[in-house]
Amino acid sequence: MATPSDGQRLELLQGTLDMLILRTLKWGPQHGHGIGQAIRAQSDDLLKVETGSLYPALHRLVKRGWLKTEWGVSEANQRAKYYQLTAAGKTQLIREQDRWSRLVDAIGRIMNPARANTGE
Amino acid sequence: MRPDEGELSEELRGHLAIEIKERIDRGEDPESARRAALHELGYVPAVRDEMRRVWYSRWYDQAEALARDIRFALRSLTRAKALTVTVVVTLALGIGANAAIFSVVRSVLLRPLVNRDADRLIYIRQSAPGIGTDNFTFSVPEINDFKARATTVAAFGDFSTVDFTLIGFGHGPRLVKAGVVNGSFFEVMGLRPVLGRLLNASDGSPGAPGAVVLTHRFWTTVLQSDPSVIGQTVRLGPRPATVVGVLEPSVPYPEETQVIANVVTSPHHSLAMMNTARTHRMTELFGRLAPGATLEAARAELSNVHGAMVRQYPEAYAARARVQLQVRTLRDQLASPAQTILLVLLAATAVVFVIACSNVANLILARSVRREGELAVRAALGAGRGALRRTLLAESLVMCTGGTILGLLLAKPLVAVASRYAARFSIRALDATVDASVLWLGAGLTIVAAVLLALVPRLPSSDRTAGMGLAAGTVRLTPGTNRRLRAFATIQIACSFVLLAGAGMLIATLTALQTASTGYDMRQVLAIDVPTTATAVYEPTRATFFPEAARRLGELPGVQGVASGLVVPWRDRSFSNRVPFSVEGYQPADGEERPTAQLRVVSPGFFGVLGVPVLAGRDFTDAEGSDVAIVSQSVAQRMFPSADALNRRLWFGTATAKPLRIIGIVADVDDQNVVQEPTLTIYQPIRGGVMGQLANRLFVRAAGDPYTLVPSVTRIIREISADQAVERPATLEDVRAEVLMPERLNTFVFSALGGIALLIAVVGVAGVLAFSVGARMREFGVRLAVGSTPRELRTGVFRDGVRIAAFGIAAGAAGGYALVRVAERLLGTVQLPGALPVIGAASVLIGAAAVASFVPAMRASRVDVLQSLRSE
Repeated sequence: MATPSDGQRLELLQGTLDMLILRTLKWGPQHGHGIGQAIRAQSDDLLKVETGSLYPALHRLVKRGWLKTEWGVSEANQRAKYYQLTAAGKTQLIREQDRWSRLVDAIGRIMNPARANTGE
Repeated sequence: MRPDEGELSEELRGHLAIEIKERIDRGEDPESARRAALHELGYVPAVRDEMRRVWYSRWYDQAEALARDIRFALRSLTRAKALTVTVVVTLALGIGANAAIFSVVRSVLLRPLVNRDADRLIYIRQSAPGIGTDNFTFSVPEINDFKARATTVAAFGDFSTVDFTLIGFGHGPRLVKAGVVNGSFFEVMGLRPVLGRLLNASDGSPGAPGAVVLTHRFWTTVLQSDPSVIGQTVRLGPRPATVVGVLEPSVPYPEETQVIANVVTSPHHSLAMMNTARTHRMTELFGRLAPGATLEAARAELSNVHGAMVRQYPEAYAARARVQLQVRTLRDQLASPAQTILLVLLAATAVVFVIACSNVANLILARSVRREGELAVRAALGAGRGALRRTLLAESLVMCTGGTILGLLLAKPLVAVASRYAARFSIRALDATVDASVLWLGAGLTIVAAVLLALVPRLPSSDRTAGMGLAAGTVRLTPGTNRRLRAFATIQIACSFVLLAGAGMLIATLTALQTASTGYDMRQVLAIDVPTTATAVYEPTRATFFPEAARRLGELPGVQGVASGLVVPWRDRSFSNRVPFSVEGYQPADGEERPTAQLRVVSPGFFGVLGVPVLAGRDFTDAEGSDVAIVSQSVAQRMFPSADALNRRLWFGTATAKPLRIIGIVADVDDQNVVQEPTLTIYQPIRGGVMGQLANRLFVRAAGDPYTLVPSVTRIIREISADQAVERPATLEDVRAEVLMPERLNTFVFSALGGIALLIAVVGVAGVLAFSVGARMREFGVRLAVGSTPRELRTGVFRDGVRIAAFGIAAGAAGGYALVRVAERLLGTVQLPGALPVIGAASVLIGAAAVASFVPAMRASRVDVLQSLRSE
């Protein structure tokens, strides 16, 4: 499979990683490795999350109470920590998603004024 | 809730396992899958740190990381035992020596006195620099003048040092060092008794019964803290005295006082001369500042009073003597004799500490160069500079802590040694102990050393292109590292040079003192103190005691001669006062001072027994009257330059006094200075005058070992007089050795410090060279391959070692000179070592460096060309 070279890969915007993690976990509990893979796969390999950023981010979200954890056994037959959205996490996801679309909309208007004026 | 270390690690391990499995599933071979997965994960400790940082505060985090690093350091240091042991022992020596000296310095210079309001307690001193007298003490009329006129001093305490023969406590006659004090002495000193009472105003009155207070040290050591001694009556000198109390542990100043008695116990103090003669000085003076008065005010006022005295009684204060008054706190007075030597010692141990640290720095630097590969890998994996420093800090902390613990254990015996040493200069040193403040000092030194050492090694550059070789197992010596290694070795040599030159100076001085010719027969003469019952008591019985002792001792087998006098050379140093005299036919030129001479009273046979040649005339005889004198060669030559001095007349004081006829001329001997100076001395026969009644020194010339005579001499003296104390028998040689003890101790201590420094420096130089040779093996191989001879390589390494030493010596000479200049500003004159010690120290260091470079040089010349070229 063709993987984008390092040059084509996109840097994650500051603060968006939390949202992506929350979004990924909407489909059910997952361990850290799985979350990273999911983000990568769903972005068609354009987004690659560094392990060094992913795990601290996961722990940050746990600490805020948006995720909860549970030890389980992974497909590799290895003990792994599974992350799961809490109720507060779901609320937070909705809030972030809403904020994100408004942000994209606003930035889009600035970057592409014509389309913004005529479109939608 | 908070995940612990294990949980974080396990989560990352799980991540790794999944990644590897996925990669293998995709068809990668297991080994490359593992490597790729590890690479993708990044530097695990850094990731883990990030995760932990979410949960824990930054400080906790750092401490935790440091603890982890320390555990790692402990593990890795057990693999480098030789290095660890060297570092720990080197640091222990440095820290132990510093802790010990610091303890002594603190107890002597910094610890408060037990005396009540010690900062209000002053010591008043009269000195006469013109005649070389540091402490002139005071006479009773002088003290009365101060008491009458001073308003800034609330009360004065006076203290005369007196040696008593004490009989009591179920023990035979023995000599005690005593102080005779007035009634207000203890009130002024602000001391309390631990038992009984101290002396008070009623004890000070002329009609009071004799009363004596024991110092704490005397009571505990000589009397085994026996409380029943209170109330006992002892014979103190010729009179009885009752023991009234024991003084609390305090500085028994002046001197090593054992008991303190009231004035009536000393017969000498009731003499008219004692109370009326302004020049009869034998009393030290203490004072307590009046409320509101400052030390400066007291100094000004007392100096005024003193100035008035000098103007009023010019005959008692010879212009030549330049009599001065000093007023300072008792604490300063106690500390001052020890201050200079202690500060110098403190500086010397600090230098040893610097040497130790720089040597340890060298070892650690060399180790870190060997570890550069490991550090580079860590850096490549994302360990930040902070994390690398922390790793290094953990290691140096572990080693320094080990060094400190060992050093503080060493400090305890070292303090004991150092305090006994320093007690020669200040009695307060005896109370030095290792305590909490020393622990703090040790901890401080540890942290300083650890931080410095952690900063020493070069970190792998964060700029990857600079290309630190990751290849494992090779040592590459970069110019920077090499420079640092050399710099530290140079510092060690420089510091050692300063210490060695100082030690060399002391050795030179001591050798000069010890080998100086004295004019006496040193080995065969036994000097014995047979004191009068109290200092300066006129005892008419002496006139019969000494001739009888001489007769009976002379009959002992092995005794070649017996004589008596008042002065044991060098031991009795309080007889340096000079008496003005004049001789027949000698007129001092205008403005010339009247000549002065030392007056000595000796028995017939004195010169023969002590081995002083009689140059002309004859010795005294048993039947001598008081109208004759023997003079030293200097007197004869100076006063009678053109004529024979024999049978000429001389007078003490002025020509109105009774004339003395010169019957003999003897060689010059100086019994006050160890190094002889031409001495004007006039001898009088012991039986001729009142001075003979004070005679208290016996000289016995032995054919064999003088010390074997001591028991029979003691027995015979006791047979003649049962109450006679017999003290301190010693040959003149040993007397002089005892007098030279401070010099010997100084020399010993500084030589020991210099030796330690030298040893560390040699190890340092050898280590640097060995390391640099090890790192240059390949270069040597190449050089041999292109035609260098082993000899050239050997010389090169040799030259390297000597060059380090030469630079070090130059730096040491410059630094030492600067140090002396600074010291001069702080302490007054400082003696610079002469050429010989400097050259000696330099050659010792060059030689040591040459020896140290020997092994590495041999190794360099034995490089196997093929092997060294293949090694990479």
